Amino acid sequence: MSTRPVARSPGGPGWANLGMDIVSVTRVQRLLDEHGEHFFTRMLRSGELEDCSTGTGLDLLGLCGRIAAKEAAFKTLRVRNQLLPWRDIVVRRADGGWPLVELRHRAARMAAEVGIQGITVSISHDVDYAVAVAAPIVGEPVAVSGTGSNGPQHTQPNQHSEEYPHVRGS
Amino acid sequence: MSEGLEQVKQWILKRHPERTDIAPDTDLIDNRLIDSLSFVEFVFLLEQLSGRSIDMDTLEVDEIRTLAAIEEQFFKAEVH
Repeated sequence: MSTRPVARSPGGPGWANLGMDIVSVTRVQRLLDEHGEHFFTRMLRSGELEDCSTGTGLDLLGLCGRIAAKEAAFKTLRVRNQLLPWRDIVVRRADGGWPLVELRHRAARMAAEVGIQGITVSISHDVDYAVAVAAPIVGEPVAVSGTGSNGPQHTQPNQHSEEYPHVRGS
Repeated sequence: MSEGLEQVKQWILKRHPERTDIAPDTDLIDNRLIDSLSFVEFVFLLEQLSGRSIDMDTLEVDEIRTLAAIEEQFFKAEVH
């Protein structure tokens, strides 16, 4: 039952939808306090959790940033009636420190169906909030059959130069 | 309404003090009563209350879209 008015969506060849998200450190801290670190394995893979761990424990802002990045990346897909496939949108830390998005399984299929070849993302945080903005790398839509979780993996090309054009060629 | 579903409703209301009640057919997603972050905790709650493991990879949005759908999907046995 939709209760909000809707407008016709623009689109067409070359059209790219940005995604953005903001995550409250307070909310994530509460989840951590109430459910423990293991709770976040429902949202992040082990490598992602390692990326936002420090010698003294979990880097809360880093964790919030990854959560925001996943949501922002998902928003670029503009899919209807789909729950965010948290663990299929993988946000890892590149050697240079910038985030890399890797789409797997359901997320990869959703992206392929709308012609998204990859997603580039940027994360920022300060004290109480982490934010992320994501942009899709658009190609041709691919017909994908089935909705299971064993599809091909999907990785993004040229993430470094898209995310940090000032280091292109370095 | 089953006891489990009542606890689900109270869990949502606690996080949305501007509301006093939630109708069985209220769209929880469209009305932003559950967002992506709270969804993960919500599934955790449903597992605890229903005693069932929920595979987030196969869960359909319509299964948790309304309290009525949640009752049908997770607490139907309590109604009998």
